Amino acid sequence: MNRQELQALAGKAKGKHEQFKHKICVCCGASCISSGSEEVLKKLQEEIKTRGLENEVEVIPSGCMGPCNQGPLMKYLPEQTIYQKVDCNNITAIVQSQLIEKKPIEELLLFADSREKPFVNSNEDPFFKRQMKIALKDCGDINPENIEDYLAAGGYRALEKAFFLLSPEEVIAEVKQSRMRGRGGAGYPTGLKWETVYKYVSDQKYVICNGDEGDPGAFMDRSVLEGNPHRVLEGMVIAGYAVGSSKGYAYIRGEYPLAIKRFELAIKQATKLGLLGKNILGSNFSFDIEVRIGAGAFVCGEETALIASIEGKRGTPRPRPPFPAEAGLWGKPTLINNVETFAGIAPIITNGGEWYSETGTPKSAGTKVFALAGKIKYSGLIEVPMGTTLREIVFDIGGGVQNGGDFKAAQTGGPSGGCIPAEHLDVKMDYESLISLGSIMGSGGLIIMDKSSDMVDVARYFMEFCMDESCGKCVPCRVGTKMMHDLLQKICDNKGTQIDLDRLEELAVYVKETSLCGLGASAPNPLLSTLRHFRKEYENRIMNHQ
Amino acid sequence: MSKKKLGTVWLGGCSGCHMSLLDIDERILEVAKLADIVKSPVVDGKEMPEVDIALVEGAITSDEHYRELLHIRKQAKTLIAFGDCAVMTNVTGMRNYFNLKDVLDTAYVNAISNDKEGKVPDHPSLLKLNEKVLPLQEVVKVDFVIPGCPPDADTIFYVLFEFLNDRLPDLGKAKKLKYG
Amino acid sequence: MNTIPITINDKKLDVDPAKTILEVCRENDIEILTMCHLKGIIDIGACRLCLVEIEGINKLLSACTTKVAANMVVKTSTERIKKYQRITAELFFAERNHVCSVCVANGKCELQQLGYKVEMDHIRYPHLFPHCEVDTSHPWYVMDHNRCIMCTRCVRVCNEVEGAHNWDVMNRGHQVRIISDFNTPWGESITCTSCGKCLHACPTGAIWPKAIVQGQLEKKPEIISELMEKRKMKL
Repeated sequence: MNRQELQALAGKAKGKHEQFKHKICVCCGASCISSGSEEVLKKLQEEIKTRGLENEVEVIPSGCMGPCNQGPLMKYLPEQTIYQKVDCNNITAIVQSQLIEKKPIEELLLFADSREKPFVNSNEDPFFKRQMKIALKDCGDINPENIEDYLAAGGYRALEKAFFLLSPEEVIAEVKQSRMRGRGGAGYPTGLKWETVYKYVSDQKYVICNGDEGDPGAFMDRSVLEGNPHRVLEGMVIAGYAVGSSKGYAYIRGEYPLAIKRFELAIKQATKLGLLGKNILGSNFSFDIEVRIGAGAFVCGEETALIASIEGKRGTPRPRPPFPAEAGLWGKPTLINNVETFAGIAPIITNGGEWYSETGTPKSAGTKVFALAGKIKYSGLIEVPMGTTLREIVFDIGGGVQNGGDFKAAQTGGPSGGCIPAEHLDVKMDYESLISLGSIMGSGGLIIMDKSSDMVDVARYFMEFCMDESCGKCVPCRVGTKMMHDLLQKICDNKGTQIDLDRLEELAVYVKETSLCGLGASAPNPLLSTLRHFRKEYENRIMNHQ
Repeated sequence: MSKKKLGTVWLGGCSGCHMSLLDIDERILEVAKLADIVKSPVVDGKEMPEVDIALVEGAITSDEHYRELLHIRKQAKTLIAFGDCAVMTNVTGMRNYFNLKDVLDTAYVNAISNDKEGKVPDHPSLLKLNEKVLPLQEVVKVDFVIPGCPPDADTIFYVLFEFLNDRLPDLGKAKKLKYG
Repeated sequence: MNTIPITINDKKLDVDPAKTILEVCRENDIEILTMCHLKGIIDIGACRLCLVEIEGINKLLSACTTKVAANMVVKTSTERIKKYQRITAELFFAERNHVCSVCVANGKCELQQLGYKVEMDHIRYPHLFPHCEVDTSHPWYVMDHNRCIMCTRCVRVCNEVEGAHNWDVMNRGHQVRIISDFNTPWGESITCTSCGKCLHACPTGAIWPKAIVQGQLEKKPEIISELMEKRKMKL
């Protein structure tokens, strides 16, 4: 397929959608499927067929819409009306009143059971109103298993623009101008990374997409891969073009079978259309993507361990330097970015880097996807501009703490991050502000805790996670996390002493500074941040004992 | 300078450290000039009186050791963990990889040399083994440690001589560290 | 030969840019403690004893895996580094069951030497006392996991020097263990050539010949290094 054919196909796909008056999306993300959305979809298709509305109403399985604990979700377009907890028994009634009588059933609308008056147009609901979707755009509106849906929504136009209007240097310049930073957690400027890989001369370079999302309570990457795999794929191809690579790997964890299935399908569809493979769109650029499935090790989210895993070795990190940009996969220059980073590339190329940099804060541009979880009223997947305050996220979007409880702390960055106590609710969610509070942005897990959470136990829990997930290569992480865990357990059991607490603090700093990779270096973070903000709880445990 | 009081105790160890203490040979006379040995397996006296220095050999393996160590801690100005068992449990601690019941069963029930009854002795006058063997520092504050199995006589004399002259010994700097 | 200027502990040196910080230090009699390093096999930076401070880099880097660079200013024995080396030594001892008094390597053990060098008189952390197997299935050799410090020198020697790859690593975290083949008894190994290189590579009393008793072990890790030097010369 060449450029003209792509445009024609996109136009045709768009036209096909426009002939329908209505569109109904049934969320078929992993969490809605687990609450029965596939049967809902089947039932709905039958219902539409029985009523003879197939030519008027388009029914599609879509990706994640956001409010995951209200599933299965069903969205009516163009009205933007979302029904929650849909089950097969009320589909007939919903179709009857929503489509035929044009009167939505209020008590079945999204958040009907908790809002005084639910919103017919979900975009007016505070949960969505405060959000801004760049990486998640189209996720929840298109069928992730159909490339034509993506094309109709403007997909692969960024790739086309990059290939035919921009040189690799110009693509990198756009990404640099966007001031986007890596969404995997460390926040390294994406454009700079691309440029570094671009500058190394090598017969072969690689592009890797890191989809080994392992933080407990995080599901951003899964939702993007499930809801809009072509977007990630497009980002990877553009990256390949920019840095001069012809081979990409998508490393997706084995616990995400649906994401793997949809991404593999996306590769197949894109290859068939000539958007992947030899001489993409008739240009002289070729690029292939292969999926590699992670076997369940948290440490394989660390880039050097991930590379070792792709090479077929034991997934353990190695010291850096040399960084993967210089010597990565099979010793070749390698660009490795997170799923969400790649999902942000196409809009940057389409709309320009400057457009992207206008959102967010001066040092952290753009938007960030968070997975809201824990003791929060409306949990799920959200995307907000960088710099949105934690208060806005928890109270405006998330509707506050579950069952009217009091907010105690929020854990950002999962087991590598830290907690943010109530007095810092007005902290801006960006890389620097979170670091200044002793936490990190991380990949976007956001766990809300209420007064019932015991912070020593929280620290113990995350330490246990890091202890179990340590690869065992370096001493500080292998033995240090075990020691810290045992000491925390001792304090939790009210058997700790002041000496134990001193030892714990000394070990925490030691492990942080001497560990080989990021997993070890950040493992003490939950401990250090709970000590910083909730030292009293530790001291009470010790006092109780003495 | 008034004479100091020195006590030595043998807990969960093999008495090898005390043998090594005796190996300081004639230098015991120099120690005797500076201190009276008021309690030791090699002298009379059941209870530990108040002492300036207590050398404690062996790890804590039973309830009786535990009580005794707490008492010594009260009586001693300077408590020294004497030998590898006291410092890091050493051979005494080798039963820590197993649970206590298996250890007792192996010794009393399953051992070939036992009579047919094969019973773990439980007379009230016998001490009760703790689940895990602990080094002294896990039970009380320890002021100084002499590792080694056993520590060299020279090392023991060096440490005693320094303490008796009101100086703090430094095994690392003196290149006298030894394990095993 | 092209050389570059670097400074280590205030000492100005002109060195070969292809070398690591560790190699340069060893050639210039600057002491750097190591455990997982063995000259001749690939360095992995796992023991974290050779960490050094480098001006302008806020992370501590392992000397064995970091190449020298022009005008690099390195410090190898600051108070911070010494403190961390002592903790590392303590963690080594606390992790497995290192009962020096009954160990074959007593007196000839690199781990004991490490303890003396960092002036460790006792271990401040509770011993973990894990249950470890002793594999005596091999006709001549013993693998005692109680004494293993997971330096993986045996794994690398077996793979890189002998080319047999009998040894590997299994499990994660503090439960990692060295395994023979796919975790089968060493005596049943189909890859082991019984060459004995791992015995010399092992820094402690974890791998040793059956013919000896407590304190009699003779280790010669330098024969591995010499062997690799000779191979290089042949090439």
